[in-house]
Amino acid sequence: MNGYGGHILRVDLTNGKWTKEQTPADVARDFLGGRGFGIYFLTREVPKGADPLGPDNKLIISSGPLSGLMIPGAGKCDFTTKSPLTGGYASASLGGHFTAEIKYAGLDSIILEGVSPKPVYLFIDDDKIELRAASDLWGKGTIEVEKHFKDKFGEEFQVAVIGQGGENGVLFACINHDYGREAGRGGVGAVMGVKKVKAIVIRGTKSIPVADVEKYRQAGMALYKACKEADFLAEWTRYGTTVVTSWCDEVGALPTRNFSAGSFEGGKSLYGPVMREKIVITDKGCFGCPCPCGKYSRSKKYSLEVEGPEYETIGMMGSNLGIADIEAVAKLNLICDDLGIDTISAGSLIGWAMECYEKGILTKEDTGGLDLKFGNAEAAFELAEKIAMKEGFGALLAQGVKKAAAKVGKGSEKFAIHVKGMEQSAYATHNATAMLLAYMTSDVGAHHNRSWAITYDLQVGRERVAPDKVARIIWLQNFRPMFDVLGACRLQWVELGIDRDLYVPALEAITGIKRTWEELEKVGDRIWNLTRLYWVREIDGFGREWDLPAPRFYEDAPTTGVTKGQITKVEDVHKLLDMYYEQRGWSPEGLPTPETIDNLGLKAFAA
Amino acid sequence: MTATLRASSGIKDYLGGKPEVTISAGRTVRETLVDLGIPPEVIALVIVNGEARDKEYVILDGDAIRVMAVIGGG
Repeated sequence: MNGYGGHILRVDLTNGKWTKEQTPADVARDFLGGRGFGIYFLTREVPKGADPLGPDNKLIISSGPLSGLMIPGAGKCDFTTKSPLTGGYASASLGGHFTAEIKYAGLDSIILEGVSPKPVYLFIDDDKIELRAASDLWGKGTIEVEKHFKDKFGEEFQVAVIGQGGENGVLFACINHDYGREAGRGGVGAVMGVKKVKAIVIRGTKSIPVADVEKYRQAGMALYKACKEADFLAEWTRYGTTVVTSWCDEVGALPTRNFSAGSFEGGKSLYGPVMREKIVITDKGCFGCPCPCGKYSRSKKYSLEVEGPEYETIGMMGSNLGIADIEAVAKLNLICDDLGIDTISAGSLIGWAMECYEKGILTKEDTGGLDLKFGNAEAAFELAEKIAMKEGFGALLAQGVKKAAAKVGKGSEKFAIHVKGMEQSAYATHNATAMLLAYMTSDVGAHHNRSWAITYDLQVGRERVAPDKVARIIWLQNFRPMFDVLGACRLQWVELGIDRDLYVPALEAITGIKRTWEELEKVGDRIWNLTRLYWVREIDGFGREWDLPAPRFYEDAPTTGVTKGQITKVEDVHKLLDMYYEQRGWSPEGLPTPETIDNLGLKAFAA
Repeated sequence: MTATLRASSGIKDYLGGKPEVTISAGRTVRETLVDLGIPPEVIALVIVNGEARDKEYVILDGDAIRVMAVIGGG
């Protein structure tokens, strides 16, 4: 099948066996790959009500039809599972070089099933596939383990590895790769940990079949040319995602002290140019990327080197904790990466705990002696480690902010910043109604990668609640995640602004099937609705209540910064949902209607 | 006393589709953006002669200014 590795690898960890099957052509036609394959296999194969940390859950790792090919940023890999953090759908995206090797090994997806009785790693060298003992690696950090495998097998092998966070079942544990890239969100690392899989080590040497090699070469070159000629290639390469730090501060979108404000008085010390000057030593890109957004940094103060920090980590572990020191953020970044926990969720948890502490809801007795004032970087370092190791107070936070707040109570639920149990990523949304809706309706919880619309809010009026804003979010939700389906990075479109139509001839030349963006958006719509049906299936009473944002964004206006006194009215929150459900073809409670299900060819999944 | 201003692809509509316009020196980048009808808050990055500057930078004769909006997002 052109554009595909051609096989699905199933690894039965309970019995230590594996099987391969041909990638189903109809699934490739309707769901294409990546997160499309993920939700298809999750819905089909993981039984309703499965314990996310039990043997029935599966970890589905998928490349896409562009992955591993000469397309800018075609290094994206999707990790789908039932989320232990939210109880619903989880899909985490990983950059780097891992997904290319999946394709070169003749695979499209690797599905980890069951639970291994002992720690193992999965070794794949083309058709040589083995589960090997990893007891000696259990308890070690991601960086040491990745280096171990690189030293042992060579640089050609790519490694996806969990740290102690995944081993210990931290509900927002991530899967790490390339010493600083993560499949970060939703607890995919905890699922890998409970399955006792420390790492996947993979190399492939096979060719990927392509329908029309000459047209593929031309289309690929056109994409690279567009990237190379993009207006701001040099700046995106120089600063990466940290381009937006100063801008977020300026427009009130920089999460500050647990999202109590959107501007930080110490923000300047975290800005991209300051970071570049102070700690960045080189740039680092993913497979096939012409605009390497990764920054590799060295902190003299803490004697460390780390990939990052990128914007999300700066927002969540810098301003959100009241820390105005980019080197301290770099240290927190390294702690989380090495121990294998998501910096966004960890930053949210520590910020929430700091607010509890400053309000007297938690005391030193509760925190194990930690003085959790905002700005106390040393306390944050210690707490991040305790979370990953589930030690003392850290064990409470390891459950995620929704569960931790439910246990602590005393009003702390009001400033637990999450949707559907997933901690909100690093954009404050006190007065940005389209972006607020993007978080409310994201299909994994409060994450920004599905749709992002703050500039749109600024252009059309940030308080406005109108159908065009809702339509914009729906269009983005159908379109943007298609990059995670195709197995390529969206940042060439997001950052460099290259024409998305350039991908159309490339996809046709590779797969031999012509698909316009309209058709691709229809696939995106189908996937979006299937993820919604998954939530409906797994959560009793799922509906509107699950789409509500943190009360902070409609009850608790900032008292400082550029959004001081600004807030979204609760009635507008519901108006947004009313319009969203109507435009999506969902019921007033947010459930896809039979007509919508039928129109998208999802009848077989709705039972 | 003039300079040039170039906008990123997502906001060229504010310049009537033109990639670059001639502007007057002596005013700040923020004031100039307002003059051109570009909401200053949508601009994430200001580059003057290859260096990152803030929107309060006062434009000098001959400056080559580039402004970038984040349209696609994070």
